[in-house]
Amino acid sequence: MTAPVSSHPPPAGPFAAAAAGGVLARGVRRTFRGSVAVDAVDLDVPPGQVTALIGPNGSGKTTLLLVLAGLLVPDAGAVTVAGVDLRADPVTARARVGWMPDVHGTWDSLTSREVLATVADAYRMPRDAAAARVGELLELVHLTELADRPAHVLSRGQKQRLGLARAIVHSPAVLLLDEPASGLDPRSRVELRDTLRALAASGAAVLVSSHVLAELDELADRAVFVAHGRTVDVREDVQRGGTGGAAATARRYRLRALDDGALARALADLGAPGTPVAGGTDVVVATEAAAADLVARLVGAGVPLVSFAPAAGALEQVYLDLDDGERR
Amino acid sequence: MSTDLAAGAPPAGGAGRPAARRRPDLRLSARGLGTVVRLELRQRVRSTRWLVALAVWVAVIALVTVLVGLAFASEDLLGPDPVGQGPLVFSLIVFLVLSMGLLVSPALAATAVNGDRAAGTLAPLQVTLLSPLEIALGKLVAAWVASLVLLLAAAPFLVWAYAQGDVALGAVLSTLVLTALVLAVVCAIGLGWSAVCARPAASAVLTYVSVASLCFLSPLVFALTAPMVLTDEQVTVREQDFTGVTQEFDDRGNLIGEEPPCVEAVRTQPVFHSERTWWLLALSPYVVVADAAPRPPVDPRTGLTTFDPLSGIREGVRAARLGPQPEDYDFCTRSEAEFAAQEAARRERLDGARAVWPWGLGANLALGALGVAAAARRLQVPYGELARGTRVA
Ligand SMILES: Nc1ncnc2c1ncn2[C@@H]1O[C@H](COP(=O)(O)OP(=O)(O)O)[C@@H](O)[C@H]1O
Ligand SMILES: [Mg+2]
Repeated sequence: MTAPVSSHPPPAGPFAAAAAGGVLARGVRRTFRGSVAVDAVDLDVPPGQVTALIGPNGSGKTTLLLVLAGLLVPDAGAVTVAGVDLRADPVTARARVGWMPDVHGTWDSLTSREVLATVADAYRMPRDAAAARVGELLELVHLTELADRPAHVLSRGQKQRLGLARAIVHSPAVLLLDEPASGLDPRSRVELRDTLRALAASGAAVLVSSHVLAELDELADRAVFVAHGRTVDVREDVQRGGTGGAAATARRYRLRALDDGALARALADLGAPGTPVAGGTDVVVATEAAAADLVARLVGAGVPLVSFAPAAGALEQVYLDLDDGERR
Repeated sequence: MSTDLAAGAPPAGGAGRPAARRRPDLRLSARGLGTVVRLELRQRVRSTRWLVALAVWVAVIALVTVLVGLAFASEDLLGPDPVGQGPLVFSLIVFLVLSMGLLVSPALAATAVNGDRAAGTLAPLQVTLLSPLEIALGKLVAAWVASLVLLLAAAPFLVWAYAQGDVALGAVLSTLVLTALVLAVVCAIGLGWSAVCARPAASAVLTYVSVASLCFLSPLVFALTAPMVLTDEQVTVREQDFTGVTQEFDDRGNLIGEEPPCVEAVRTQPVFHSERTWWLLALSPYVVVADAAPRPPVDPRTGLTTFDPLSGIREGVRAARLGPQPEDYDFCTRSEAEFAAQEAARRERLDGARAVWPWGLGANLALGALGVAAAARRLQVPYGELARGTRVA
């Protein structure tokens, strides 16, 4: 049998490493009655890292997560989850995956404790271990005080935290979260970030879909950009400015100085002409090293520099580049 | 590994989903079933609406029972110490309980799946290790338990009706057991529709339509198809031979002198072959419950069984199943004794006739199984094609 997946040459490497865990998806495609939701997505979610799945509304993030969670059959493509081929053994794969949907439906007559105990039961966890685990999770998502009140008294953010706890009851090796931060207050966001970082540090492969880029900047180790159902860019190491993108673009920095005239002259002398904008002057710099060099030279030239910072988040810049102002 | 990729490659047309579709997932465990049942019962029983429904249910049955009791206590209706009052009251209460159960049970299951889907609580169960059968059967058992609670709440009224006398104890038991089974079937049909329909309103309507069809449409079809099984045939009839007889009557209209003799003759007559269509009657839950109830004891005062609706239905469907019988063509007037003897023979034959309810119950259970199978099939993930108008979560 020949593989007509010409655009995705069978990468023996990653698939051989599948046993190591995480998510490996190649050429995933999914349509709904002829309309394409996910066209061709390649995605790696390595264990021990938080991977962001970024794309505009309608770019197929939710659909992709449904495929990875074992809820939708892909039309095409191969997916390995936590070392298990999704097609060959969907049940084992489900046992190793935690999924937090973007809708936060919950059994509203049950208490938070019962919700988590029910899910633990559904994953066939031993009863006494489950009870301890439930208590621990309630503590983790700060719902201990509300644990024995029916879930319908919970606020949206609290429900969302319960949803997170529900997704990790069975300590999954792969965690899929669909826009987990929307609707959370700033404190809860910080806590979500810390929780996910801790889960990743303990070896889980975490995939977070979002279009709220500010929160991902501090959360994600890697970023996978999708648009129109296709993987369009991958950035490694986004905590440090982002490297390795398919179109590794130069980055825009915003400078402010006490003396705008001196700054403009110095930039012109250094061959890096700036663009005056509302909050200062923007300069496009190719690499971080070049940025450091530019700072040193400007200071050396006696420019009274006040601030030198990225004009937009690393992810935001890529996002805006690929979005092209176009939404579905 | 590359073959895996090849298997996952888009098929030539691009539209179809490859062979991952789909071995049915038939896993079923007591633990998984228990998990779903507990979840569903908690979710239902705690909603106060359910307690209100239970209270209304008992109130309505109590009210009707009291009215029936008052009506029969009044001597104006049937005179003092009427014959056959017990079976009549019992029949009415059985019909009441069964009708109410058939009305309420669809509401317990008819939105079990699509309601959960709309509330976003279905997919979180499907991604766990629970199997589609466990989810479907768990929902069925929970709905059934709820309707059994209703039935149990109605049981005292049945026992009261039994205490009105002349009812076989077996009738109370058969009524309770068969009503319980019929309610399970109704729940299963509702569950099936709730999995097939995207919208809760649609599945509720279809469930009610299905139940009404079973109850009333199938007897109606039996009646409407009667002309199709009515054939003109040569049959031997017994009739009085009036040739050469002049009859005279006295002032009060009584015949003077001898009855004309009975003779046999071969005539062309319309014959109703109900033995070909009786099964339409058997589908009705009312027939199932009525046919299974043992006959009330023979009234010692008249030597006849008294008429009551349950026995009426039973005799009707069994006669329909037997089809045309010789005495249907016996047109000779008879003496009281002759009539009683023939009536006894007829009853004996009907009692000896094979029961109809096992067929009806079997057909109903098969429909219920179909509902569960449809639900389990629709609950299996990963989904291939999604039903129009549904989302996964
Ligand atoms: N069940 C469905 N039926 C039909 N179209 C769908 C369905 N789910 C998603 N889509 C379509 O697929 C595309 C991707 O949707 P989605 O995965 O929800 O995007 P995102 O989560 O990135 O916003 C959208 O155009 C959407 O309308
Ligand atoms: Mg989405």
